[in-house]
Amino acid sequence: MDAYRTPLTIGGISLRSRLFLGTGRYPSPAVMRQSLEASGAHVVTFAVRRVDLDVAEDDPLLSQTEGRDLVYLPNTSGSSTADEAVRIARLAREAGLGNWVKVEISGHPRLLLPDPAETLRATERLVREGFTVLPYTSDDPMQAIRLEEAGAAAVMPGGSPIGTGLGILNPYNLGWIVENAGVPVIVDAGLGSAADAAAAMELGAAGILVNTPVAKARDPVAMAAAMKLGVEAGWLSRQAGRIPRRRHASASSGEEGGLFAARPGTAGGDAE
Amino acid sequence: MTRTLLVLGGGIVGLSCAYEALQQGWRVTVAERGALGGQASGAAAGMLAPYYENGEAPDAFFGLCMDSFDRYPSWIAEVEADSGLRTGFVRSGSLHVVRHDADRLSLAGRMAWQSANGASMEWLDEAGLARAEPALPPGFAGALYCADEAHVQAPLLVKALIRACRRRGAQLLPLAGELTDAESDASGGVSVQFEEYGRISADAVCCCLGAWSGRLAAWLGLRIPVHPIRGQICAYDPAPIALRHIVFGPQAYWVGKPDGSLICGASEDEAGFDRTVTDAGIGRLVRAGGRLLPALSGVAPARSWAGLRPATLDGRPLIGPVPGHRAVFMAAGHYRNGILLSPATAAAFGEWLAAGGRPESGASRHAFRPGRFGGVGARERAEAER
Repeated sequence: MDAYRTPLTIGGISLRSRLFLGTGRYPSPAVMRQSLEASGAHVVTFAVRRVDLDVAEDDPLLSQTEGRDLVYLPNTSGSSTADEAVRIARLAREAGLGNWVKVEISGHPRLLLPDPAETLRATERLVREGFTVLPYTSDDPMQAIRLEEAGAAAVMPGGSPIGTGLGILNPYNLGWIVENAGVPVIVDAGLGSAADAAAAMELGAAGILVNTPVAKARDPVAMAAAMKLGVEAGWLSRQAGRIPRRRHASASSGEEGGLFAARPGTAGGDAE
Repeated sequence: MTRTLLVLGGGIVGLSCAYEALQQGWRVTVAERGALGGQASGAAAGMLAPYYENGEAPDAFFGLCMDSFDRYPSWIAEVEADSGLRTGFVRSGSLHVVRHDADRLSLAGRMAWQSANGASMEWLDEAGLARAEPALPPGFAGALYCADEAHVQAPLLVKALIRACRRRGAQLLPLAGELTDAESDASGGVSVQFEEYGRISADAVCCCLGAWSGRLAAWLGLRIPVHPIRGQICAYDPAPIALRHIVFGPQAYWVGKPDGSLICGASEDEAGFDRTVTDAGIGRLVRAGGRLLPALSGVAPARSWAGLRPATLDGRPLIGPVPGHRAVFMAAGHYRNGILLSPATAAAFGEWLAAGGRPESGASRHAFRPGRFGGVGARERAEAER
């Protein structure tokens, strides 16, 4: 089984887990910490605007993750233009939060869907400035290609609008993105449960990012553990190769096992 | 025959439930392990900010907060009339200030759904903010102004509730020590034992143990995932700056009280049951103040203190009858919102009392039912007994 457990590598970093965890919306800091531990996540994301960049050591969120071997993926949520996203990314890097950035640019307060033109523009600029850029995008196959061409280290298409828990609304598009991508595809946004996590991985995603479905579960710690298992199950299932879908039944035991097993000299087994 | 109620826990929630039962004619005893109002209630800045506390969606918790918020003025008036004490209730309005344009998007979303749910809100640009709160320095991108939000002086409210309960004949037992035994007795009532007071029997029990609620898991056969989160808070006295509104900043909030002090809160620390005030915790608040409000720069707070807030696994309180125990109600796990939620919690408890403790009452508050985390497993029972 270990043959299939190849680590995901992004921006030259080999990651312990294919599950990325968001740090917002947890009912308490204790529940957040326990969820993080239960998830086994290596990459954690947070909105730069939620962090006190003036005095990073004073920030309650960052002090929570202190001393842990984690990769920070600061995101630019709240920005609605490329200019703003670039400014936020620079602030995060200057504050010592590392080189990774999740470009998240939305223009509508209710949909929060990513703005494709501004996202592409910000990705191009931040790649030129040496960032490891993981843009959050809609499940648009062409946009995914353009982002990859712009130098994104991974693309992060949403399964459905952020925080909705609607799961993967367009598996066809996501499957298409995965098949044609030359960089890792991380399914981000909209997942609701461990089943959605497994489904994303079975579609061929290299990883997933979740926040709300864990933070707002009745038991976030248990859901974090479930997401971890869902990702592992989906990944392994994808590697194992599922059977093709068939229209008609096919018995799992052949006739030779029955009381009236095929007699010598007659054909046995599957009729196929 | 007068029925008897035992309230476990003398914080704001326990006192509010006791007060409700007294108004219904019950004979009430409140047993508290330490000082009355000593934990989360004592740490509270007394914010009544149901909109600020609900950033996401008009869900059941928002509904509970609003229900409680709407009850506040008349509830406070009753407590003040019964006690003869003031509670420092001020409908000051609030300002959620932001430094960057990127903060506007989430506040715009909040403003949209909350305005549709009855909030009086307005987005203030830099000039508007300067007019609304002249004491603030320039340099903010703007603020979400809410005209409704209010505050109360939590220690005064606790004092008033204590007085009101006493005047209505409650027996208040602070410093009761640990709860050593509890059982539902054969006659349908409950019998509880404390270190300092021996055995107390009652027809009904209301469990308001805040961060200590998990200790009832073995007795109630219930998984009670409540954990303490330390809240550190400080006060400048006299206030170096006169704020008209509650000011919510990115790292802390500030509120001027009628007694002339300015309260700044609050940390959320994971420190077990340790109530120590730390330099790091208060220092963080003080530095946040200095950055946001230059008038606070270099000023040391006159007082700082801490209390333990009862946080739950899903962020919602446990309010309702305890399954399998006819005479037991639970009201706990209010985390940062115990002051705000006291009137609605007491009202829910009052409905249950008035309905004769029937388990089906209060079903409208399904999201808060204490049994939602399931029964206690072998592991939790072993932990509770340790």
